[in-house]
Amino acid sequence: MDPTEHIINLDEIDHGIFRSLPFCHGYCVTCGLCSSSCPASGLDDFDPRKLVRMAGLGLKDELVNSKWPWVCTMCGKCEHVCPMGIHIPDLVRNIRGLRERDKVPGILQKGIEAAIKTGNNLGVPKEDFIFIAEDVADEIAEEPGFEGFKVPIDKKGANLLTTIHNKLVNTHTEDLKHWWKIFHAAKEDWTITSDNWEGTSWGLFTGDDESVKIMAGRIVEHMNRLEIKNLMWPE
Amino acid sequence: MKSSNVLVIGGGIAGLTAAYELAKLDINVELVEKTPFLGGHAARFTCKATECCEKCGACMVEEKIQKVSQNKNIKIHTNATLNTISRNDRFYFNIHINGQNKETDVSVSKENDISISADAVIMATGFTPYYPAKKPYGYKVFDNVITNLELEEMLRNNNIAVKPSDKQAPDKIAFIQCVGSRDSKLNHLWCSKICCASALRMARLIKRRQPETSITIFYIDIQGFGNDFENFYEKAKKDIKLIRAIPADIYKVENERLKLEYFDHLLMQPIEEVYDMVVLSVAITPKNESKELADSLGIETYDTGFIKSCNKDDTATSNGVFVAGTAGGPLSISESAAQGAKTAWDVKKYLNKNQLEF
Repeated sequence: MDPTEHIINLDEIDHGIFRSLPFCHGYCVTCGLCSSSCPASGLDDFDPRKLVRMAGLGLKDELVNSKWPWVCTMCGKCEHVCPMGIHIPDLVRNIRGLRERDKVPGILQKGIEAAIKTGNNLGVPKEDFIFIAEDVADEIAEEPGFEGFKVPIDKKGANLLTTIHNKLVNTHTEDLKHWWKIFHAAKEDWTITSDNWEGTSWGLFTGDDESVKIMAGRIVEHMNRLEIKNLMWPE
Repeated sequence: MKSSNVLVIGGGIAGLTAAYELAKLDINVELVEKTPFLGGHAARFTCKATECCEKCGACMVEEKIQKVSQNKNIKIHTNATLNTISRNDRFYFNIHINGQNKETDVSVSKENDISISADAVIMATGFTPYYPAKKPYGYKVFDNVITNLELEEMLRNNNIAVKPSDKQAPDKIAFIQCVGSRDSKLNHLWCSKICCASALRMARLIKRRQPETSITIFYIDIQGFGNDFENFYEKAKKDIKLIRAIPADIYKVENERLKLEYFDHLLMQPIEEVYDMVVLSVAITPKNESKELADSLGIETYDTGFIKSCNKDDTATSNGVFVAGTAGGPLSISESAAQGAKTAWDVKKYLNKNQLEF
């Protein structure tokens, strides 16, 4: 093996893209606490210390094309133990955001696109959603102590707005009941919305700030329109 | 020529050396030490000689204590707290003696409060070892997690390493370096300088006396100082396992043993390894009270909290106040001693100059 083939010419490196980030990766002392603490280190050879060093060296293409930023679970333990206060999850998220959108792994990008277009990650139509919500409410009403239970939809002036995880509408409707029964028992004045009810925001995971802004903006819109002051965002 | 009086604050290796060197120059010294004993941290350190002397400097302390105790020009005040300091050309101090102490009192006066005046002051107030309870290593939670300073004392007193839990010899020891050093969250951006060599020396000492012991040192990068370090390091690498990673978690397992988790960047996988004893190489940090003292003496501290000494070779800028030893930053025993001696000469120069002016 020619040892020189692995030598990086520091003069040819463009540090620009990472240097401007406020994540302090330049302060890394290479102690390795991040990698030691990481629950995902070793998966696909993932080594957070190396990821931080690669950012320090400005190895943009290598990082953007690497699986590593997507192996990270964003748990933040690395950041907690890092003696230099490097914001490693933020750095990881930023690297994810640099990847071309059609190369975002798994269903993440599809979900985001569906959410932007239809209001939820699964593209569930409005009529279907209302049907499911009322069906779940009817089931609750059959239980003792919940007689007459109704789901308040688009209720103006309610005290609390709650968003919904798409999975709870699709396959886990039982999980909707727990929340709703608690609201009922607590005599909460609550509501859900018939449009744009999605609580997940996968742009958070893919480094897509624009979609995060749109998703959060919709919730703000609901609260303004329905004059609701409190939000429960069970994500 | 009137005889000068110099106050030395702190009876560690730097203060002892400064006091002794000044005394040899026929200058009267008042040596004030807060604790009942002279020698400071280093007095509790172990000699680390293996096949030959490893130049750790631990033996210098006893020799210095003896010389200082026997010198007629040095007045020793142990168990003494500095109460008031004022300045009017000379420095005026009030010292409070907390009880009587027969062991080290050579010429201490009987009164509990003593007023002293001095022409110059040396701050040799030393350091505080970082207290690692907040780091994720279970210090003071698990019996067999100790600091490097505690290991020093253990080796000095017992000759061998023993587990605090059952006083038996450990089969496997891990050292974790840089605990509290190079840490921006603690505002400790410095390297404590001595811990790499100290850990390697203690590891080799244990290997020599307890050859069956397996020793691992977790490090960031080995900071070696001194002209023969490379040689020593090469020898140490032969019988000590060196792993370039700092573990992030510790768990107690059966028999008070300790499981460390780290990522091995060569095997590219997370490793769990069980040890009998874990030694934390803790940072050298500035003393809180040193800042207060520096303020009252009119000298500056660095942002780190260590004390700024006067400009090199320009004793006039000192205003009569000098700094020696680890009060100014991390130093080894021999460096502290050397700085103590150098400071004595600086003080002498300062006094000479001032006497000409009077």
